[in-house]
Parts: sequence; structure tokens; C-alpha cells
Amino acid sequence: MTILLSGGNKNGKSGYAQDIAVKLADGGKLYYVATMIPYDDEDRARVARHIENRAGMGFETLEAGRNIQNIFDAADENGTFLIDSTTALLLNEMYPDSHFEQADSEAASRCISGLLEVAGRAGNAVFVSDYIYSDAARYDDFTEEYRRSLASIDRALARTCDTVIEVCAGNLIVHKGELP
Amino acid sequence: MDLIIGGAYQGKLEYAERRYGLAKEDVFTCSENEGIEYGCRCIDKAEEFALWCVRTGNDAVDLLEQHSDEWKDSIFICEDIFCGVVPLGADMRAWREMTGRMCSYLSSKADNVVRIFCGLEQVLK
Repeated sequence: MTILLSGGNKNGKSGYAQDIAVKLADGGKLYYVATMIPYDDEDRARVARHIENRAGMGFETLEAGRNIQNIFDAADENGTFLIDSTTALLLNEMYPDSHFEQADSEAASRCISGLLEVAGRAGNAVFVSDYIYSDAARYDDFTEEYRRSLASIDRALARTCDTVIEVCAGNLIVHKGELP
Repeated sequence: MDLIIGGAYQGKLEYAERRYGLAKEDVFTCSENEGIEYGCRCIDKAEEFALWCVRTGNDAVDLLEQHSDEWKDSIFICEDIFCGVVPLGADMRAWREMTGRMCSYLSSKADNVVRIFCGLEQVLK
């Protein structure tokens, strides 16, 4: 089964995603695909908090800041994969050397093909994204390009995934398919 | 009249084109620099019309009300820019409020209201 989870920041997406990944794995192989490449202490503190949150849940952590399809090199395809998040993956692919001057214009299509490969091959996959599309602001071109790219990834995953869920203040809105 | 709302880049226009079989010439794309063509079959980016109203001292709901005969069979598409943080700039703040009020008004007049999320339809009315 494949699931896309999105919604606003700090609405409980990651916690819920972990719970459903555990449920889908049903005792089988369970992987947490860490997409964030920490650059500073704030990032490292966030990573530490996430590791603590999922301790004892049975996750094996795979690091994949880029080229998400490579996770299968070191994992059992039949397992359950939690990919948290497409947002971080896109950022890493857009700015390969963490210099935020020139975005890689192929990043979104690379993310889409990698993520769809994961969706196709994994026993189960849960993708976490962020909903960043509903505010009254005129962003600079870089931010706008990032929003457009992330939305194209979201829409591609929404087409492919069995279930699409929006998490809103800890509540679930099911846009497609059934809850696992 | 039907209303389609949703965030940026969610596939709102694509959905309208598919659902209503729209051609390019059926769609009027609003901009902050000009008023609206009320009689158009589909009025896209209605939030930009709200920004034009803010910039020109007009009220979007009043203007729409005055021209309601012209758009009563139209399709409005609007970005839900009113969900985020209250902006610091006064005109962005007024824009956000104007768009919110305009959407509530259009929603109350609409036969159908849908929200598009990641390309998927959510029926609201």
C-alpha cells in the first residue's frame, strides 16, 4: 500500500505517519528514510528529536538526502518505507551543494521519478509532504520555484498513491482511498 | 455559478478545464493591474482581482454584486491565500481579507464549491 500524507506544519503528520508505517509493516521490515541533511545545530537538534520520537518503534534508519531510489541498495524491497519528507528531498536536489544561488531545474522531475520508483517497488510506502500553498505573500522567484516544484511532486504522488490524507490539527481528511 | 478553491499549484485550472471542457478562450485570467471580464465562462485567479480592488479602492463583493447577472453561469477559480499568517504589509493584509470575504460571498452564491488538494477534488458544497 502507498500513502501520501500532507498538511500544515506541526499538525502531527510525522507522528501519524510513523504509526501507520508500523501498522502497515505488521512485524515485517520497517525503514525510516531520513531525507534531511543537517547543516547546523538547529537541524541536528531536530534530527535528535525525531530519533527520540521513533525510538522503540522498530525502525531501521536509511539516510537518503538525494537519489531516493538508491534506498533499495541496502534494504528489503518488500519492507515498509516511511519517507519523511519530500520537502527536504526536493531542497537537497534543488541545491546540491547547499549554495542557495542557483537551483537545479531538473530537481523536481528527478524527485518525481525517484519517488514513483519507490512507490512502485516498495512493499509499502508512506510519503510525508508539507502543504505550503495557502498564504497571502509575494515570494521571491526561488521560493516560488520551490513551491511549484513541491506541488508537482505532491500531485504526482497523489495520482499514484492508493491513499491521500491531509492532516489538519491532528485530524485526518481522506482525499483518496481508504485509511490503512 | 461554480467555485473552485485551493492552494497554489494544486491543479485548479487543470481540473476546471477537464470538468467543464474549457478551451483557452473561455478563461479570463485576472491580474492586479486590471478589472475583471464579468461575462467570461471561467474567471481564473480571482485573488488577483481582489488585489486589484485593494489597489484601486474598490470592494470586490460590491463590484461582483453589481455585475451578478453577467457571471451567474460562470466558473470562478480562487487561491485560498487567506489560510496563512497575517502579513505585515498593510496592502497584503487588506488583500488577504478582501479575498476571504470575496470567497465567502462567491461560495454563498455558488451551486457547487470544490477544493482542490494535490490535484484531487474535495466537494465542499
